[in-house]
Amino acid sequence: MRARIGVVGLAANDAKLAARALSGLLGPRSPRLKALIFFAVFALLHAVAYLAATRFAPAEDTAAGLRQMDMAARSATILLLPWTIAATMTAVTRMLFQRGDLDLLLTSPLSPRRIVAARLLGQAFESVAGLGLILLPFAHVNAALGRPHWLAIYPALAAAGLIGAGLGFLIALHLFFLVGARRARLVSQIVATLVGASAVVVAQILALLPDAWRVTVFAAFSARAGEGDVLGRLFEIPERAALGEFGPLVAWLGIATALFAFAVFVRGPAFVAAAMASAGAPSSAGRANARPRFLAGLGGALRVKEHRLLMRDPWLISQMMMQAIYTVPVGIVMWRHGGVTGAPAVAFGPMLVIIAGQFAGALAWLALSAEDAPDFLMTAPATRGQIERAKLAAILQPVAMTMAIPMLILVAIAPFGGLVAVVCAGGASASGALLMLWRQAPARRGMVLRRHSQSKALALGEHWLSMLWAATDAVAAFGSWTFLVPLALVAVTLWFIRPARVKPVPPLVAATALPTPAA
Amino acid sequence: MTLSPPALEIRALSKTFGRKAVDGLDLTIRAGEFYALLGPNGAGKTTTLRMVAGLLPADSGEIRVFGIDARRKPVDAKRIVAWLPDEPMLYDKLDPLEYLEFVAGLWGVDPGLAESRAEKLLTLLGLWPHRRERCEGFSRGMKQKVALAGALIHDPRLLMLDEPLTGLDAASARQVKDILAERVAEGATVILTTHILEVAERIADRIGILSHGRLIAQGTLDELRAQSGRAGATLEDLFLGYTSLAEQAA
Repeated sequence: MRARIGVVGLAANDAKLAARALSGLLGPRSPRLKALIFFAVFALLHAVAYLAATRFAPAEDTAAGLRQMDMAARSATILLLPWTIAATMTAVTRMLFQRGDLDLLLTSPLSPRRIVAARLLGQAFESVAGLGLILLPFAHVNAALGRPHWLAIYPALAAAGLIGAGLGFLIALHLFFLVGARRARLVSQIVATLVGASAVVVAQILALLPDAWRVTVFAAFSARAGEGDVLGRLFEIPERAALGEFGPLVAWLGIATALFAFAVFVRGPAFVAAAMASAGAPSSAGRANARPRFLAGLGGALRVKEHRLLMRDPWLISQMMMQAIYTVPVGIVMWRHGGVTGAPAVAFGPMLVIIAGQFAGALAWLALSAEDAPDFLMTAPATRGQIERAKLAAILQPVAMTMAIPMLILVAIAPFGGLVAVVCAGGASASGALLMLWRQAPARRGMVLRRHSQSKALALGEHWLSMLWAATDAVAAFGSWTFLVPLALVAVTLWFIRPARVKPVPPLVAATALPTPAA
Repeated sequence: MTLSPPALEIRALSKTFGRKAVDGLDLTIRAGEFYALLGPNGAGKTTTLRMVAGLLPADSGEIRVFGIDARRKPVDAKRIVAWLPDEPMLYDKLDPLEYLEFVAGLWGVDPGLAESRAEKLLTLLGLWPHRRERCEGFSRGMKQKVALAGALIHDPRLLMLDEPLTGLDAASARQVKDILAERVAEGATVILTTHILEVAERIADRIGILSHGRLIAQGTLDELRAQSGRAGATLEDLFLGYTSLAEQAA
């Protein structure tokens, strides 16, 4: 046994658990083989970095090359910081409401500040680890090739992680106390989604502006930066730090340390208060005088139940928002800039088809694989087929309702292309739902955002089917008969994943209720 | 006069999970009986009841609920059965009234009747003031009571409860025992598993003791005493005696 655990020990414990989760992605292989696979991936990334460095890095010595480096560092910063903030907000909210080991930690003699420090350190690491895996091989290779300033990516990335974690923590806590425990879960998740996608949102707003306005905005920013404006210079700190300039790097680390220390030492105790307020707090309470809705019949009962649970699922709502934020603007840009033909049906139709397919897949996954009380449903006087059909009917309703307005607008603008999109969206929804029906994998409801990590085949199938339907829509909207090709691929895909070809799964069994040889 | 079929009739029932969990079990429980099914951990109590409830497929054997072959016609059997596991099967995001709406809908209870039953049950279990609070904020005992209300709302003829008193305070435990006794008085059959032998001793009409998936003793308390030749023995003494004999024989 070791002496009392501290911040480092707690963070190490979290890191150990994260490493095991990562290792679990490789399935039931030996630890030696897993280590070998990770080493091979790492080596491969270094090989790619070496090829890129020897080919492009000499450009760093030219003015144009430097400008490109600046742009790359700026883009990475703009994308990374909101992402780390949003990831921390989500993590803090999950911690407060899903608890996990929080109760154990809070009942231990550890100070709140230590607990918060350890958790935020882990979060900081986790949120930059993905980008680090891609960037660090470039740093190693370039340093080895005589450009040691590339190693500044290490401290710059660490500082970005700390800043994102600190800011995310502060925003999440502030929101919690602002809106109260009951609404915090939903509000925080929505705000996190908007923050995480803010770079995309801002880019799309700029893209949607009239050309003259856009030029004015860019000119204003360029002028401020060129005049050595304080705000402009502040914004340049992270990119200059990442490029290895000593002063900005020190400033960047200083900001990170100060912000992280403020979050831990000043607001750390507030986290404990929030944890206490959130313990057992319902996300919202119904109206005491609301009329009961007793309905006789399996279909009605399941429909009402599924709809209630969906409406009370903040993670699902945030995922749908994220999908819309990332997908719809692409259609807007395609339309605005002419796209393939500039036709709205070709620009928007495939986007809506993808959204419909993914939405239906997510809802079907929630209703079938993430059923909270599968054992209870099995005791109901209905067959498994009846229950599953009623569930699918229940989840396809919100998909239809959500897609109705954009589809109607599309049909009004472009009748033929719009109708094709309606048919393809229906097909994509049905395919997504069928995939989830045939490939049920018991899981907890809260896993909806991470359901793709549960099964790579499921994730691939879901995306593949959506893309095929989108392609069918795009080609059919052109009036070309070649739309039959992606449509045939849909049929082939569904044929291959049909139940006869997969191992039977336990009926409606949740992760928490897998059969055990209990007494 | 026609004899009513037994509430539960099990013949040569077997289930294997690597080892025999239920081993050729024969068990008959009469209609209108309060039956306590006892046994040490791993004896096969829960496995047996899960097979009756249609949650686990049996490897072999027969299960009849009021004469209905539960293996061949599971839906018909489920209409008249309720199963309450030791871990309440609830939806955290629903409130008790919404949960009862859902359960009543699944069993096709007339909406008007379901509404009055829901109000009566929630009031009886002290949950009416909490009827619009989501279950996620409830204690284990409150969740157990919501689940019990769900089990009772369709007025089952056979009610099977696995450790129903776990997590309940003394007053709630008394409430639940009274409700169950009332159901039996009204003609329902109750099968209950418990490790609290005093409960079985006090409220059960008959007691069955399982060990290694087999019924090793069955009867009223007096019958068990007579069978073991230990007049005046407590149920605890009898239970330990029977199960240690079964251990030695195994």
